[in-house]
Amino acid sequence: MNAALGQGGVILGVAASLGGVATLAVALRQRRLHLIAVGRSYALLALLGAVVAVAAMERALITRDFTVQYVADTGSHKTPALYNVATLWAALEGSLLLWVLVLTGYIALVVHKFRRRLNDPLVGWALLTMLVVSSFFFLLLLFPANPFHTFDPPPGFDGPGPNPLLQNHPLMAFHPPMLYLGIVGFTVPFAFAVAALATGRVGEGWLLETRRWTLFAWGFLTVGIVLGAWWSYEVLNWGGYWGWDPVENAVLLPWLTGTAYLHSVMVQERRGMLRVWNLSLLCATFSLTILATFLTRSGVIASVHSFTESDIGVWLLSFFGLIVAVTLGLIGWRGDRLRAPGRIDSPLSREGAFLANNVLFAGFAFVVLLGTVFPLIVEAVNGDQLSVGAPYFERMTMPIGITLLFLMAVAPVLPWRKASGELLAQRLFWPAWVGTGAVVVAVLLGAHGLAPLLAFGLGGFAAGSALRQVVLASRRQGWRGVVGRTNGGMIVHLGVVLIAVALAASSSYDTERELTLDVDDSATVAGHEITYLGPRTVEQSNKTSIRARVSVDGHVYEPAINRFGEGETAVGTPAVATSPARDVYLALLQVPDDDNAGRIVLRVVVQPLVLWLWIGGAVMLVGTVLAAFPGRRRSPTAPVSELPRRATGAPILASANGDGRAGRTDEEPVEVPT
Amino acid sequence: MTAPVAPESVPPDPGDDVAEAPPRRRTGLIVSAVVAVLAIGFVAVLATREPATDRRRDSPLIGKVVPPLSGETLAGGNFDIDDQRSRWVVVNFFATWCVPCRIEHPELDAFNQAHARAGDAVLVSVLFDDDPASARDFFDRNGGDWPVVLDGDGLIASAFGTPKVPESYLVTPNGRVAAKFTGGVTRDGVDRAIDQIEQAAAERGVP
Amino acid sequence: MRLLGWLAMAAVLVAALAIGVADDGGPRTPEERARNLAETVACPACDGQSVAESDAAASRGIRTLIAERIDQGASDDAIRDELVATWGESILLTPDSSGVGGLVWVLPVVALVLALAGVGYVFWRWRGMAAVHASDADRELVDQALAPATRARGEDP
Repeated sequence: MNAALGQGGVILGVAASLGGVATLAVALRQRRLHLIAVGRSYALLALLGAVVAVAAMERALITRDFTVQYVADTGSHKTPALYNVATLWAALEGSLLLWVLVLTGYIALVVHKFRRRLNDPLVGWALLTMLVVSSFFFLLLLFPANPFHTFDPPPGFDGPGPNPLLQNHPLMAFHPPMLYLGIVGFTVPFAFAVAALATGRVGEGWLLETRRWTLFAWGFLTVGIVLGAWWSYEVLNWGGYWGWDPVENAVLLPWLTGTAYLHSVMVQERRGMLRVWNLSLLCATFSLTILATFLTRSGVIASVHSFTESDIGVWLLSFFGLIVAVTLGLIGWRGDRLRAPGRIDSPLSREGAFLANNVLFAGFAFVVLLGTVFPLIVEAVNGDQLSVGAPYFERMTMPIGITLLFLMAVAPVLPWRKASGELLAQRLFWPAWVGTGAVVVAVLLGAHGLAPLLAFGLGGFAAGSALRQVVLASRRQGWRGVVGRTNGGMIVHLGVVLIAVALAASSSYDTERELTLDVDDSATVAGHEITYLGPRTVEQSNKTSIRARVSVDGHVYEPAINRFGEGETAVGTPAVATSPARDVYLALLQVPDDDNAGRIVLRVVVQPLVLWLWIGGAVMLVGTVLAAFPGRRRSPTAPVSELPRRATGAPILASANGDGRAGRTDEEPVEVPT
Repeated sequence: MTAPVAPESVPPDPGDDVAEAPPRRRTGLIVSAVVAVLAIGFVAVLATREPATDRRRDSPLIGKVVPPLSGETLAGGNFDIDDQRSRWVVVNFFATWCVPCRIEHPELDAFNQAHARAGDAVLVSVLFDDDPASARDFFDRNGGDWPVVLDGDGLIASAFGTPKVPESYLVTPNGRVAAKFTGGVTRDGVDRAIDQIEQAAAERGVP
Repeated sequence: MRLLGWLAMAAVLVAALAIGVADDGGPRTPEERARNLAETVACPACDGQSVAESDAAASRGIRTLIAERIDQGASDDAIRDELVATWGESILLTPDSSGVGGLVWVLPVVALVLALAGVGYVFWRWRGMAAVHASDADRELVDQALAPATRARGEDP
């Protein structure tokens, strides 16, 4: 029953999406614009299809209905309840169900938000694009990756359960949905970009109206990536949080271009410039999300993350090729309309800084993409097999990261159009002292090495600059000084600085030791006393957990090795002693048993400031929410120079420092945080 | 959002306007063309990659006589590959801690059952850096009744140059190494390889 | 006055950096050297992890080999060469800078140079464009537009 219901939902989704595409195509071609509203009904039907399919699958998973192939492959009676729900996204087919649910949800939201403009061809084109994408994913679910095949379970059949690595931690429940909310979310601004190009209406504010969508998608993607790093750290037993693994890189790529886009679109809003950059970045972001899905799912690159291999690779790669071809074509076709009449007056200006920002992020993405696919290209060209691993990425991205920190410090104080040296010196004085102070404090605490010290100093510099902006704005506007795009953005920058400092510290000053300990043995690692107290075995429904009780400076932790399915795969689960100053990471490598006389082999990794990575991520999330807060402008496309009005409608003229000049001073604009 | 330029303020220079437009259109076209070429090349490379499983790799062993493979099996008996002349042999290196090995195990089981009946191919596994008790557990749990040779000192693995598992070698009935697979095999993949090699040999007139 | 402030800052910064950087003489102990080297060698039994991170048997073996060779006084390059001879090119986590592998190091630098050149060219070309000067007609337009605001402030438009 579940299989039939789910299959029905998928078929409904396919039919509705394709029907919507057809209707909208006719509507746009024949200019029968009232038909666009019919497209809305198709969109809602597609959402219904997705909801039915997901509900059917979840029901099958929770009731362990092994007549559904997917449940037979990934479910199990032994898996605890929460993980059964999360098993939806534990393997390829189920995760595609999650994708279409999120996608059709977003489409429905778009249709709702633009409900009063449904006879506008631009909205029609956007809806068409989104329905094409949803058709593709529904078709994937109907053909190469169908989770609703039926299965005839022999009596007493129990499935293998999801991959043990995915059952070890509750974060499994949140990391993929967050990631998908982000990745799939970029479909919306992309659709509007295509629509703007297709209709030729690239001068209007459509990209700006969808800015908040992009911000939310970007926010979810950021959270998804940070959660992924946290999961990697807490689950994978190797003591690190980012391995430059191809799957991690694949998801980082759209984040990089998306970040560049979010900044660069401000230049378009202010001066109508950098339109080609913005459209290219946005289309690149969406294309990269498809490429990421391909790299993750096709098995072309083996990685510790590899979930599965299947024929889906051909479909995904073709879709990727189609997207790149269409967007290249559109941008090339409309190229002359995109040229801006103005120019950037001086490199030392906010526009110049954003242009530099674009170049840096594009370079960053280039390096990550190159390193990830280089082994494939070399193998194709001359059959050699090489690896490109973490040392390459670290060495290449570090100078880019350092430069970005510097830019983060200087750009917020740069005025538009042109800056003078004295202005910069005046505004950057105190932030520069914060940076210097950071270096001094670091050296006093024993830090050494040029690269980390640069990171600390520039991080302090950037933090000082961001704080300066927020403090000035709060002084002028009260609580409104921390909301809105500029101020929220500064808080996001603070989060980034925290992460950068934590990255620098934890990777430069880490200590790793492998200890072989008998019961009651002690060892000292980086000033911490590690004592092995004894073993403990815990039986759970899906696993047997062999734990080592280890005391770190007096507190007891239990790194473990979990055996799933009676002796098949053993998966290590680390225990981490966290504190604001440093983490002590314990990974059990060898269980105590008769063969080794009860000895354990324990890997201990001491890394400073790891906690601040997660705190920084949370700060970034808070900043994103604050940045999404609506400003006083009634709509994002109202002129920036429009004077704010009091409730009576009278314009507010006097500047805060009462010198009689209307509206603006040389300082940051008073009234337009958004 | 752009200030209209009053006509008197800009010295009219029609040559300037005309000269501007074509070069800019050209640069746009050139950039698009370059990006398009790179994208096509990129997609082509990705499209022609084989998946990580069933990847046949180069090995210095291919074409040469198979290295010695003999030793005690899990079941307590003895296995020597030289006894398997006139049959195809699939030599599979595996370990119980290796996830892709676990994934390929049912495929190996299927292969073994199909060919055990026909008697034309034999499967032998070599335990790679793992302990016999875990291996015994593994086979008890997951089935499979083909010989598993113990390689406690790793001499067999070194002789084959096996750095990681899973790795499988296909040995012809003449005792020569014909192919090497890494990343896990499937039953169909091995069958196809056997067919391909037999066909190629038939075309060359080699028995 | 501000200038003094900047000078003081520069002095403090240079001093602190000098102290911090002088301390960093590379790996301090053989263990650190072994660890640094291990982080550049791929684990042959895993995908993408380094020998330092993985606890597979093959990794442990390579780590032992590295430690032994360091004790025997071998250089980093010699150890890497020996590993490549036994296991192949892909044992190294990053390609050597010669041969096809070198491209992965060179291409980003080339891209950077191209980007800088591109940006420089664009700015140079913009500099050549005629600067816009406001004419009297322009100023009148602006005054007209600002008239309501100036009147509201009580000034004469």
